[in-house]
Order: sequence, then structure tokens, then C-alpha cells
Amino acid sequence: MLAKVIAARTVRLIATLFAVSLLTFLMVEQLPGDPILAILPPEALDDLDNIERIRKELKLDDPVLTRYFRWVGDALQGDLGKSYITDQPVSDAIKDRIPVTLELAFLATLMAALLAIPIGAFSAYREGGYFDRAMSGFTTAALSIPGFLAGIFFIWLFTLKFNWLPSTGWNRITDKGLFANLKTAILPAGALALAPLAINARLIRADMIGTLKEDYVLSARAKGLRDRYILMRHALRPSSLTAITVFALQLGGLIGGTVVIETVFALPGLGTRLISGIYQRDVMMIQGITLFIATIYVVVNALVDILYVALDPRIRRQ
Amino acid sequence: MSHLFRRFGRAFLEMPLVVKIALVWLVFIVGAAIYSRLDRILGQALPLQDPFYQPFLFGEAKPVEGPSSAHWLGTDILSRDNLSRLLHGSWVSLIVATTVVVFGLTVGGFIGAFVGYTRGKVETLTMATLDVILAFPPLVLLLALVAVYKVRNLTMIALVFGVLGIPTYVRIARASTLGVASREFVQAAEAIGTKRRAILFREIIPNIMPALFAYALINAGFVIVVEGTLSYLGLSVQIPEPTWGNMINEGRRDIRQTILPIFWPGLFLTLSVVSLNLVGDWLQQRVAVRSSAL
Repeated sequence: MLAKVIAARTVRLIATLFAVSLLTFLMVEQLPGDPILAILPPEALDDLDNIERIRKELKLDDPVLTRYFRWVGDALQGDLGKSYITDQPVSDAIKDRIPVTLELAFLATLMAALLAIPIGAFSAYREGGYFDRAMSGFTTAALSIPGFLAGIFFIWLFTLKFNWLPSTGWNRITDKGLFANLKTAILPAGALALAPLAINARLIRADMIGTLKEDYVLSARAKGLRDRYILMRHALRPSSLTAITVFALQLGGLIGGTVVIETVFALPGLGTRLISGIYQRDVMMIQGITLFIATIYVVVNALVDILYVALDPRIRRQ
Repeated sequence: MSHLFRRFGRAFLEMPLVVKIALVWLVFIVGAAIYSRLDRILGQALPLQDPFYQPFLFGEAKPVEGPSSAHWLGTDILSRDNLSRLLHGSWVSLIVATTVVVFGLTVGGFIGAFVGYTRGKVETLTMATLDVILAFPPLVLLLALVAVYKVRNLTMIALVFGVLGIPTYVRIARASTLGVASREFVQAAEAIGTKRRAILFREIIPNIMPALFAYALINAGFVIVVEGTLSYLGLSVQIPEPTWGNMINEGRRDIRQTILPIFWPGLFLTLSVVSLNLVGDWLQQRVAVRSSAL
């Protein structure tokens, strides 16, 4: 049964990836006029030799589909073309910058998960109490504040007012060690974690309110077990399945979500490269990074679907 | 007409206090946004010049003034009146959010109801196509799209948002249609030989609309955040036209001198999104109660 699910999901994954890459490619292709106008920045258009060189290099006179399949074929071998502004291979730019983006997304997911569990559990345990109501207000606010605004606010508060943490820049773990790295990562990751934290806390709360009404929780109480033990061992366990799949899903979403936060904190991640590519109208960079982020997103979503079936025997049996 | 007013009045009285405040705030923002453009539409000067019509004014005021009777929310580093720019900026958020909601409710709602009721190959094909658009992280797809287009005026931004917003509405409309289509009143209509098109428009669509509308409010909040983000990156409506997002971007440079030019648009943005979420959540709960009683 599981093998069948995996096979079906893989077929859908490949079809989606094909369509996603086609759409990414066509976004540039469907522009009216000479594609060279879209590819080159206006100031480079006077250099006729350069235009001729790029036209040859790109084989722009081939039909659209030929060029699309060449682009995808190269992409499958890890070659996403070269930036026409900086001459840097797109895959090198991605390799260079993906660690920052991945670390941010991972750290934010971790923060959101670890903080949400006690918040959600305690809200459920004292449903309708002061803590629960305060948290409901907090989650509403956290879901409504745009990430970039939270980031700017963090900079203002922790850098300009208290001067605790640096507002911009990035220390690589490999250069400066874990502590220095976390010092530069904690604010952006925190800004990124706000929304998923709120979602997780709400989910866990709702789930546990249901679980706490189950008979086995009552019998655990009757046995005289301590509340904290019941909450963490008896009630949280059955909720963790949904939670894990949601966390994984968020990790995929956050890889796209870091784009803005990286810009706010001026971090050398994939997002800042995408944005600077957009400012420079660096089409190969935009296409390559968009395809890369979308691919991660799609693959993570597919993995989550499979994980969900694999983890939950009830769904597997259906 | 009067009974509609009475129904709305009763619904308003039943709201919890926070939802009432949220609704009042939304009415204020929508009113301010419209009034801030009314002089251009009517082509004549209007009363209340002071808070409304000095967004681009490099007045006699000193830069970075605190709140005063002349400038209620202070001025920014170019001595422009913060309040006036805020009220003008609400127009962009309003237009973009309204476009998405209107496109979503009409085009998205219709497609969703149609494929959900007729089923078959058209449904499979439509949903597969939409899945591709939903496969992109929304912000990344938007960035790639606005990057390609050179013109970034309000019409173009609103259209891009409007079209990209449709898939989610189709999904929700289709899902609720699947639920409604198996209900007794639809079966009854089919049994007495009502035309399928009449069933679609008279039975299905009116019954999926409340849920879709509740979603639209929450979605409008999301759209305002995404437009604000795009504006913050300088990739939405261009300065000097103020938007909440580009005001935050401009204020960012002067954050060491004053936080006010960031604080106010941030507050307006957040309050508007909170309000939309609160009203949307409230409506969703009401709809859920109603449809379970259907």
C-alpha cells in the first residue's frame, strides 16, 4: 500500500516539476519583443558585439521548446546557466548562498516547534484561563505582523535600543564558530519564526483540547499521575503526528519566506541574491533561483505527503 | 432594503467587542482611502485639506517633528506629514486587496462551483493546472513575475495579484461545492428536472458564497501583507506614490533618528490585517454554524 502511494506521489511530483519549470521558463519567454531586451539591462544594449555574442551563446534563434528542453536538460545536470551581468554560474551562486538560507529556515522551524509545544499544551490545559487568552491575543498579532516588519522592529529594539545583537551581517559557523554564528542568526530566525509559531501553538492547543477529553487521559489522572506527566506523555504523543508533518511543511515554505528577511538583515543568502538579481534584471539568475526554490518547495511537500501516510497507520489502511 | 439593514444591524450587535472595533477600523481605512483620492476623481479641492491632501508636501514643517496639532502623527525626514501619507497609502492596499477579492469571488468562485458540480475531465484538468501555480511559494512567484515586467503601476500590480489569487478560491469553492451538491435540496431540484445551469446559479453558488466570503476577508489580510512586502522591497507601486510598504522602506534609512515613519505605517498595516483576520474568523464561525444547520 505504502509503495503504491509513493509511486503515485512520485509520478505527480515529476509532472508538477515539469510544469513548474515550464512556467518559470515561459515567464520570461512570453514577454513581447526581442528576448534580448528582457535579458540584458538597458545600459548593455549599445554594445552590439556583446548582443551578437549572447544571441549565439543562448541560441536564441532556436524554437522556444528546443530552448526550454535544453535549459531543463542542463538544469538536471546541475547547470542553470550563467549570469549575464556578473558571468557567475547560477549554480555556483546557489551553492554559495544556500547554507545561510537553509540554516535560517531550519532554525526558525526549530524555534517555532520548540516554543509552540509548551505554549499550546499549557493553553489547552487551562483552556479559557488568563494564559490561554493572552496567548490567543499573541497568536492573532503574530499571524498579522508581516515578517519584514517584525525584523525591523527586532533590529530597532535589540540593536539600536539595547545594543545586544548585531543588526546585519553573517558569521559563518566554519569561520567564527557556532556562538558567533547564532548571534547573527537569532534575530532573523526569530522574525521568521513568529507566524509558524502562532500556527503551531494554535494547532497543538486545538488538538490537545480534544485529546484531554479522552478516556485514557481520565484514567491516567485517576491513577494519580502528575499533570505535567500526563500532558507530555499521554496527551502530546498522539498529537505529535500532525505536528511533525506541519513542521516539515513549514520548513519548505520558509525556504521561500526567508527571501525578505534576508534582505532586511542584509544576509548573504539565496533570497538577497534573488532580489539583487531582480534589481539588475539578471534573468538567468531569477529563472535559476526561482526554479531552485520552487523545486525544494514541491519536493518537500511531496515528502510530507508520503511521510504522513507512512506515519499514520489509519491513513495507510484506507 | 431596510430589512437588509436590520439584519446587518442585528449581526453587528451580536459581534464580540473586538470584532466591532475591528470592523469600525476597516470602515475608517476604506473611507479614508477613498476620500484621499476623491479630489482627483472629482477634480476639485475638498474640505479636510489638512489631514488628507498633503502627502507629497515638503511643507514649512521641520523634518522629524513629533506629533503636534499641525501634524498629528509627526513628519518624516523630508518634513512630509506622516498622517496624510498614511491615509493616501491605504488606497494602494485597498485597491490590491479589493481586486484579489473580486477576482477570487467571481472568477474563482464560478470556476470552482462549475468544476465541482459538473466533475469529470474538466475538473481534473483545471485542478491539475491550478496545482502548478500553487506549487510555487507565493512570494517567489510574485517576485519572478514583477521582475519580468518593467511597468510597476497600481493597475498592473493589482492585476498580477488578482490573477495569482484565483487558484485558492477555486479550491475552496470546489471543496464546498462538493459538500453542497450532495445535499437534499440539490437532489430535490435535480429530481424535479431543474436545468443544471439553474441549479448551479440558484442552489450551489448562493450556498458556497458565505464560506468563500469569510475566506476572502482573511485572504485580503494576507494580500495586504504580501503587497506591503513587495512595496518594502521597492517592487510594487513606485515612489513618490506612498504605500505603507514603501513608507516603511523609506523610513528604514532614518531609523537611527526616528522610528515614527516606520512605526505608523507598521501599525496601520498590522491593525488592518488583525481586523480582517478577526472579522473573517468571526464570519467563518457563523457560517460553520449556519451550514451545519442547513
